Parts: sequence; C-alpha cells; structure tokens
Amino acid sequence: MEQCLDDNMYVVDLGEVNSAPEIIFELSSVLETAEAKNKRICLKLGDVSLNQAQILSIKSLINGIDSTLSSIDTKSAETEKVALSLGLIVSNVLPENSTDTVPAEPYKSAEELKEEQNVQDPYEIVEESDIAPDDLQNPEQEIVEISENQVQDNTEPQADENQENVNENENVKDELDVIFGSGAIQPNIFDAEFKNEEYSTNEELEDIVVPEEEYTKEDMEIEAFPTKYIKQTIRSGQVINYEGNIVIIGDCHPGCEITAFGDITVWGVLSGIAHAGSAGNQKARVRALKMNAIQLRIANFYSRRPDALNTVYIEKTDSYTPEEARIVNDEIVVFKIND
Amino acid sequence: MAGRVIVITSGKGGVGKTTTSANIGTALAKNGHSVVLVDTDIGLRNLDLLLGLENRIVYTLVDVVEERCKLKQALVKDKKNPNLCLLAAAQTRDKSSVSAEQLKKITDKLKKDYDFILVDCPAGIEQGFQTAIAGASEAIVVTTPEMSAVRDADRIIGLLEAAEGIESYKLLINRVRPNMIKSNDMMSVEDVENILSCGKIGVIPEDTGIITSTNRGEPIVNDEKSLAGKAYINVARRINGEDVPFLDIDEPKDFVGKLKKFLSKLGKQGKEQ
Repeated sequence: MEQCLDDNMYVVDLGEVNSAPEIIFELSSVLETAEAKNKRICLKLGDVSLNQAQILSIKSLINGIDSTLSSIDTKSAETEKVALSLGLIVSNVLPENSTDTVPAEPYKSAEELKEEQNVQDPYEIVEESDIAPDDLQNPEQEIVEISENQVQDNTEPQADENQENVNENENVKDELDVIFGSGAIQPNIFDAEFKNEEYSTNEELEDIVVPEEEYTKEDMEIEAFPTKYIKQTIRSGQVINYEGNIVIIGDCHPGCEITAFGDITVWGVLSGIAHAGSAGNQKARVRALKMNAIQLRIANFYSRRPDALNTVYIEKTDSYTPEEARIVNDEIVVFKIND
Repeated sequence: MAGRVIVITSGKGGVGKTTTSANIGTALAKNGHSVVLVDTDIGLRNLDLLLGLENRIVYTLVDVVEERCKLKQALVKDKKNPNLCLLAAAQTRDKSSVSAEQLKKITDKLKKDYDFILVDCPAGIEQGFQTAIAGASEAIVVTTPEMSAVRDADRIIGLLEAAEGIESYKLLINRVRPNMIKSNDMMSVEDVENILSCGKIGVIPEDTGIITSTNRGEPIVNDEKSLAGKAYINVARRINGEDVPFLDIDEPKDFVGKLKKFLSKLGKQGKEQ
C-alpha cells in the first residue's frame, strides 16, 4: 500500500461545480468508471462550502466502490475545516505522476489558504481542526482515525459544544443521552422566511395540481445521506437532530422535535414537530403512519396543524393509512398513500 | 405608557396558575387592554395549550434570550383576540436556560408597548420561581382551600415579601366548593384569608367547564354562562382598579353535572313558587 501510493491515487476534479448536490451527482457518475475502483481518491473542489454531512455522504459514496477518500483540495474555508475535523488531508501535494489528466492547481497549504481568504473563525467548535500541519503528514494514521470517529462525529457535532464533558469514546447509550438530553439544538431555521400556514390535508387535494416528480440532485443527496434508526417512543421535550435521514419505529408525542437533513420516516403516529431537509433540501419528505404533527417544516417552509385538528385525540387503531408530506407548489401538502 | 408586570404564582403545583393566567389575560384583552402572557415554565409548558396556540409556536422565550429571533417575532397572537399575545416557553429545554436578569430585560422591553404583562410562574421555589418574579412588581398568589396549598402559599408570600421588586401581592382562591364549605369539609374563603393574613383579589368556584375548556384550548372567560368565567372577568376588572363586589358563588350549583344542575334548578323553582 505504502510503496504504490502514487499509482493508487485517483484525482477527481470538480472545481467547476458550484453546489453540493451537483458535486455528489457528478462524483457518482465519475465513480462509475472502472479506473476509480480500489483507489485513493483525491477530490478537487472549487468554492463550494460543504458541511460535515455532505462530506460524509461523499465519503460513503467513495467507500461504496472500495476506494477511500484520502484528500480534499478546496478553496472554501468551511469545507477545509470540516474536512480537517474528519481527519482528511486538505490541499495536499498532488503526485506528479498521478492519473489525473487535468493540470493540477498550484498547491497551497491550509495556512496559506486561510490567510488568503481572510477566514474568520467565529465558531471554533471542532477540536480536531487545531491539528498542527505536521500531524497531517502521515496520511495512514489520519485515515484510521476517521473510521473510529465517524459515527460519533456525524451524530451530534454541536452537542459537544453544549456538553463539554461528553467523552468521545463512550458507548452508544451515552451517545443517545446526548441526543435526548438537555443539549438540545435548535434547527438552523432562523433565516428562513416565516410561513406559518396550515398544511393542506388530503381532503383538499382535489384543487391542487401536483406537478410531475423529477429525479434531481436533491433526491440523490438524500439517498446518499446516512440514516439513523431509532426504535423507541419519542416523548415531549425530546429532541433528535441528525445530519442525515431518520427512521423512528414508534410514536412521536406532542412536544418532541425531530430535525433531519434528509427524510423523516415515523413508523407510528407523528404528533410533534418534524423538520425534514433542515439544511435546505426541498425534496426532503416527512412520512408517518398517522400524520398529526403540530408543525411540519421542510427546508425553509413551515406549516402548522389545522386548528380543526387541534383537539382531536389520536386513538390507536389496527389500521393506519400512511401519509407523506412534501412540498408542492411552495406549500407543504400531506398526501395519503392509498396504493 | 408603562405597563404593569404581574406574576402569577403559587408554590404548589396543580392549583391553577396557568388556567388563571390564561383567563385573566383573555379577560383583560377582552376589556380592550393590550396583554402579553409570558410562560416561564420552561420544559413543562402548558399555557399555549390552554389558549389553543400550540401549533403556532415557532420561536420561544429561550430563542429570544439566546438572540436567535427578535422579541416581536416570538410573540404569538391569539386566534380571536388581537390584543392578546403569548410568549411561549421552550419545551425542549429546562429552567436554567433563562436567568432572572434576562427575563427582567424582556419584561422591561414589553412594558413599553403593552398594558399588562402576565408572567405564568412554574411550581416550586427554585430557580424557575426566582426567574419568574424578577421583572414583576405585582403578584397574584393562587391557592386552593386545602391545607397543603395554603402552606405553600404562605411560603411563597414570605419569599415575595423578601423579594425586592414586588410591591404588592394579592390572593386568588381557586376551586372553591360552597357545598363542602357549608358542610364544614372545606376551609372557607375567610379561613384562608385569615391564615395567610393577605387580601384577596378573587374567589373562583370549582367548575367542570375548566376541564373542557382546557381540552378545547379556549379559556373559560369566553363562555359567558360559566360562573368561573364570570369570576375571572371580575378579577380582571379588579386588577384594573374597578371596585367589583365578590360573586355570590354560593347560590347556583352549575358545577355538579348537567343533570343535577337541571334538577336543582327545577327544584329551586318549585321551592320559590
């Protein structure tokens, strides 16, 4: 491995691509070629800012073809910081004899990049970003670290900020405590346009023209997200935040908040607040066996439960008709899935 | 214009602080005053439920304190009464999220624009209580004619007297059952007043309508027939400085179920004739 490092390097240049879903889309088409298999991928990005979940989904895409993501070359300080926190090498020297056909851009160290772009770091959350450049010289070591920290890192990156004493190496039970504990994280919805209208239910659907669904990059992003699987009842005051999709086997009681970058699927009655696509993905959906959510939020869109349903108690029955909420014509609509 | 900040507190849980807040607030707003209800029971909020505003809350008190939104954004307007606003508590946090100074800042801001700021206090005498009374200059102590509630009210009154900002406090005696007082099974209103040596601002009779109004998310003052509703409207008028005689809650018995009420009315009419 060590001696044939240069031959194993495969460079993917996505410097022209301008958005995260497009990167995933382009990357997945590149990765389909046989050359990319069993290689260490070096990803070249432009100005795009990627968050942790997006980089993780890129990683999982690459891992899917038995390759590893070894380094990222980026102009964005945010991407750089996240990548560093995941233990990836940022802006590393590209080997001269790599299989890359596109001429490589001149190498800039992380330090130089920061200075060049006058990066302000108001949130120094992730400790790993403080790794000295010397530590990054040994790629093998870094990559081993990723696999150990990956799960915990992408689960609750901000919770660590609130709960300083969280030990990274604690087991899964403690990890759940972080999710359900007082380290509640408000979704990043505060720049969003405030829309607080009642969501339409299936009875009113006749007047709504549903445009034909297209498979877009947003769909692809959702599919590439990691998924969290929770098998318990979510009660009032409990908060679940995940940078991916969430599947809950159980009811979600009023007063709980579920926030996901991707889809939210509840195998039970959903009565709390659900926010799908909280990072802005408008193709995200909320599904439940019985939809009674106090509020439904998808990307920047809000809707509240119709007042008529406010006092309706949901009785447990043997048969439910599953429902799905999604954005149609800039409105959140709840569909009954009968077929 | 400087509004009045009134904290509604009790010490003991379940005596009707939140119901009182919702009803007095609604009654004041109906009389044309601008009112803000502030729920400080963070983590166990109920005020939104009583007003039927649960599905409208996006931003909460904690969001205001942590400067994620402006104060105006967090005020939820009532469905029926545009004079009435709610500043809801966060459900997913705990009492330590808001400090006394922070709440005082918020009530001071609200004072400028609203006539009345009613602060719904959490049960207990811990941090939540200290936070809730921080910005207030007046207090309403809710109690029921039970020894446990009266003892707790006594403790609360002691703390209110020791608190710096509170200039005056009044007693509100809730869930009074005239029948039981008659048969000497319940402390009378006078007994409670004597034990606590504190003036009263209202006496609210026990009313089964409270339960239905809570479940429907509509304060009982909107129900003109309800005796408890009338009593709350009177409390609101007294807060406003009017001299209103106390309701004679002894007379009708419309709180013992529909059938009994009907029969007793018939019986009473028979006796009068």
